[in-house]
Amino acid sequence: MDYSRFVRLRKPVWDGFEEQLAPGRKSRDMGYDGLEAMALRYRQVLHDHALASSRFPGTAAARRLRGLAVEGTRLLTGDRGERAGLLGFFGRSFPRAFQRQLGLTGIALGLFLFAAVWGLVLTVLRPALGLRILGPQAVNGLEEGHLWTESLVTTMPPAFASSRIATNNLTVALMAWSGGILAGLVPLYSLLLNGLMLGAVLGVTLHYSMAGALFEFISAHGPLEITLILVCAAGGLSIGRALVAAGDRPRAVALRETGRDALAVLLGCLPWFVVLGVVEAFVSPAPQIPFPLKVLLGLLLEGLFLFLAFRPVPEANR
Amino acid sequence: MADIGRESILGLDNIRLDLPVAGVGSRSLAAFLDYVVLALLVFLWVLLGAILSAVAQSSWMAALVLGGIFLLDWGYFAGSEIAMGGRTLGKKALGLRVVTAEGGTPGTGALLIRNLVRTLDILVGVVLMAIDPLSRRLGDRLAGTLVVHDRRPEMGPVLGRVPPGWGPRELAAAESFLARAGTLQDPALRREMAGRILERIRRDAPEMLAGADERDPVAAVRQALQAGEV
Repeated sequence: MDYSRFVRLRKPVWDGFEEQLAPGRKSRDMGYDGLEAMALRYRQVLHDHALASSRFPGTAAARRLRGLAVEGTRLLTGDRGERAGLLGFFGRSFPRAFQRQLGLTGIALGLFLFAAVWGLVLTVLRPALGLRILGPQAVNGLEEGHLWTESLVTTMPPAFASSRIATNNLTVALMAWSGGILAGLVPLYSLLLNGLMLGAVLGVTLHYSMAGALFEFISAHGPLEITLILVCAAGGLSIGRALVAAGDRPRAVALRETGRDALAVLLGCLPWFVVLGVVEAFVSPAPQIPFPLKVLLGLLLEGLFLFLAFRPVPEANR
Repeated sequence: MADIGRESILGLDNIRLDLPVAGVGSRSLAAFLDYVVLALLVFLWVLLGAILSAVAQSSWMAALVLGGIFLLDWGYFAGSEIAMGGRTLGKKALGLRVVTAEGGTPGTGALLIRNLVRTLDILVGVVLMAIDPLSRRLGDRLAGTLVVHDRRPEMGPVLGRVPPGWGPRELAAAESFLARAGTLQDPALRREMAGRILERIRRDAPEMLAGADERDPVAAVRQALQAGEV
């Protein structure tokens, strides 16, 4: 086809499509017929673009058609996704994603426990190690019968402490999750380090006969905090696995699909860190709140999270 | 032939679509502008918090300031991209936009994912973008996104008549000349370029020059090629 004839015949379609793409035109105001006409024009523009780019490359018509095809594709296609709302997210998307990565959460728990036992054994056998892990100030405090955690609320107001604790824990969880993209190495490091630290701290407090005080301090916030870190790290591990062992899917597809599930898991965990920040600053160090009440609160929080996570949800079509 | 800097994807009916992928330079500059904006926002937030704490005398204010800084730090990029259709202020200034790997509009999830990985991308992202033909950083790979130049479709002059035997090279050269003729500063150069095109028209289709005033070569080219333009 002659170039000028091609332009003369097809230009009304391009103009019409460009007008429909104009900013401010909303698809919901278009009606069914308008949308159908737009879909038809998009297809025609794509075909004209294919013809122009092979027969008339570099011409003004080919450049304009390429622009229209790119712009049209951006506006008419894309991830619309499931718009679930908050209830739908915690009711369906989060438990579904959590349950899909249950195996990796188990592996995360195993790694964490292994490191914790290792840390405990090390510090029990060699108490001098505890001094290096906790620092001389904390160990001096332990010798005088004080937990270093007391300074959490004596050196700063509890409100500020709660915000600091929450943002610190959120950063740990976010780094463990996002670090999965480095072949899972960051979540792996995070799990082993946190496990080792917990075991070592337990070993040191056992050595100074302060383990009871430590259990009282961590009973309200500890169980859920550890669970959340494990779940977020498992999300990171799932990203790392998709990168390293994509299976029979292309790596890009495996990463995208895993990323979506891992994000749902992460978003389901993040709000809990804010709750735990408040608990850790106001409840955990408070001497006037009895130990059994702290344990009850810890079990309640953990139970509520696990109830939401393990709720049976029908598997969505993927 | 596909450009190395362009993502060729197969769209509807297997038609190839070349996305104008943004390179490491423009993306780094956009990110720099965004970090300046972010620093400014954090400064203003801290200032506001300091004023309010002085007035309210509550430790909750300091807690709020800390929480706000955390939210700005982790949420500025994702929040702006979600609110502005794949653009941050820096990207808007440089005419960039995030799209899916298929050229479509990314969803909220994809925009969140690509920005949650940003902290690690500060360390390795620039190198990865430099060696990837599609300039993807870690976040883009995880979310399945690309950053492209956000250009409106061009509206250049289109030839209304074409001398027989002209291929795409001649067409593109003539159209490009007509688009730029008004902005060429050197009149002698303008006349020379128009003269060369007139020569080709005279050789291939002399009847198209009927009635054209060849003393003004630019007007003559325009009259010959754009007569009957739609």
